[in-house]
Amino acid sequence: MLLGDSDIQAIWLTVRLATIVTVVLLVVGTPIAWWLARSRSRWKGPIAATVALPLILPPSVLGFYMLLAMGENGPVGHLTRALGIEPLPFTFWGLVIASVFYSLPFMVQPLQNVFESIGNRPMEVAATLGASPLDAFFSIALPMSLPGYLTASILTFAHTVGEFGVVLMIGGNIPGVSRVASVQIYDHVEALEYAEAHRMAAVMLIFSFLVLLALYAWRPNSLKMTRRD
Amino acid sequence: MKLSMRLHKSLGRFKMSIDVTVLGDRVGIFGMSGSGKSTLVSMLAGLLEPDSGEIILDGETLFCSVGKINLRPEQRRIAIVFQQHALFPHLSVRNNLLYGYKRCPAEYRSIDFDTLAEVMKLNSLLDRDIANLSGGEKQRVALGRAIMASPRLLLMDEPLSALDDSLRFQIIPYLKSVSEKFKIPYLFISHSLVEMRLMADTVLAFESGAIIGQTSSEQLARNRMSASPVGYINLLKLGAPTAMSGLFAYPWGASSLFLSTGSDRDESMAELSSKDIILFKQHPEATSARNLLHCSVRSLFNSGRKIGVELECAGNTLIAEVVQDAVDELGITEGSTIYAAVKASAFRMLPG
Repeated sequence: MLLGDSDIQAIWLTVRLATIVTVVLLVVGTPIAWWLARSRSRWKGPIAATVALPLILPPSVLGFYMLLAMGENGPVGHLTRALGIEPLPFTFWGLVIASVFYSLPFMVQPLQNVFESIGNRPMEVAATLGASPLDAFFSIALPMSLPGYLTASILTFAHTVGEFGVVLMIGGNIPGVSRVASVQIYDHVEALEYAEAHRMAAVMLIFSFLVLLALYAWRPNSLKMTRRD
Repeated sequence: MKLSMRLHKSLGRFKMSIDVTVLGDRVGIFGMSGSGKSTLVSMLAGLLEPDSGEIILDGETLFCSVGKINLRPEQRRIAIVFQQHALFPHLSVRNNLLYGYKRCPAEYRSIDFDTLAEVMKLNSLLDRDIANLSGGEKQRVALGRAIMASPRLLLMDEPLSALDDSLRFQIIPYLKSVSEKFKIPYLFISHSLVEMRLMADTVLAFESGAIIGQTSSEQLARNRMSASPVGYINLLKLGAPTAMSGLFAYPWGASSLFLSTGSDRDESMAELSSKDIILFKQHPEATSARNLLHCSVRSLFNSGRKIGVELECAGNTLIAEVVQDAVDELGITEGSTIYAAVKASAFRMLPG
């Protein structure tokens, strides 16, 4: 067997985490991106900057604040205790929430770009033809934005697969709960299991390369969409 | 259609203030670019909220700032044809056409799809992608899509401006069918006087966010004769030509005209500027102009520093422009007879 059971478990956990985070962000990121693309509010700048923060913030900083927020004395911790839910740090769902914040710009920015490129006109035309805003979104804006959705989903998925710092801060290193592929490699190296580390690292390398290759082959400009002023 | 608008809107330094009631099914809004025509279109359709005022269409209040009424665009049943076609690129021609139709309540649906496709000559395009259409075809589909929504008012916002000259006049019959065949009242917005005269009966003249006059399109053209660099454009309906000694003789009402350009159509339109007609008191024995028409003067009108002379030539009407001195010298009065000379090369055939 090329990969050990714990390796397979780590990969499976990573795929599950990345899938859930991508689906959650498709739902959460769409209204944020739509608002950022359309709004002329003075809050647009601060909100856009907040969404973009994970692009430049060290993951450990983000993880540290989230740990405080989710901890027993943090606001999220108070909430979970009031609801009778176990504290989020060092659980899979805690990891999901942290990853949603961490990968937010990778979903929002490509969507914002594609919404901006469509402009107001198609939505205006749809409205004068009798479509409500929600109807116009699903019948016009969404299908016209599919390329942006595909780019955003792939980038979000890949970015979540690649996270390490946030996972360590929020999830720790619990097999089957928070030990994702990147942490598993770290573990192997720590234990001086270089052959195992090599195999996992190779899997990650090939995966990342294939994702980027697919994106570039399909749309050479899509990666530029994540970094905009 | 009866449309009452009392509107105020400020956009930065631009201020619009309108108070007008207009009756008719073929209404034009004429004004130069930047005069606020498109802002008005947006406010009528509900895409832009006026600062204050009211809009009442056929007795129904669409907007009233005092009564806090502001119908959403999808509730107004006012469709728009824009300068750019704005077709939905992910839908086929057929599904573009049906977009508004499907969303129109059944009791308001008045347009039959097959009839529309035939009138707009869209049958061969129905299953095509939008990307594979020519500019003229796209604008026909956009027009058809707006008509299929069975609107109670159609706003045409410079629908011909993005097209080149030859296409423009090919599209006009389709635009006219909105009122003639489908009985939908329209507001036609343009900065072209010729388009106005072809498309509108009543015209609201627009300048710097205000309506400066409500008149017929014919009267508007006469008023603007001296201010326009091309004068008044006579629109002549001509029959099929016959070639004759290097020129082409076209039937024109009970008379005929010599033009230097031919045509293979049974009917065509030609433009003739009021500046290109020379008037003679008596028959000039010889002239290089190939058209010499014996006319009677129906009326005279003032347009700035010029005098317009409305001539009747064998049942047809022509407008010539002269200065006051010429009127005195030639003794032009209502009912007097006169000769009008026009060069064969002065006419411009309208493509289409």
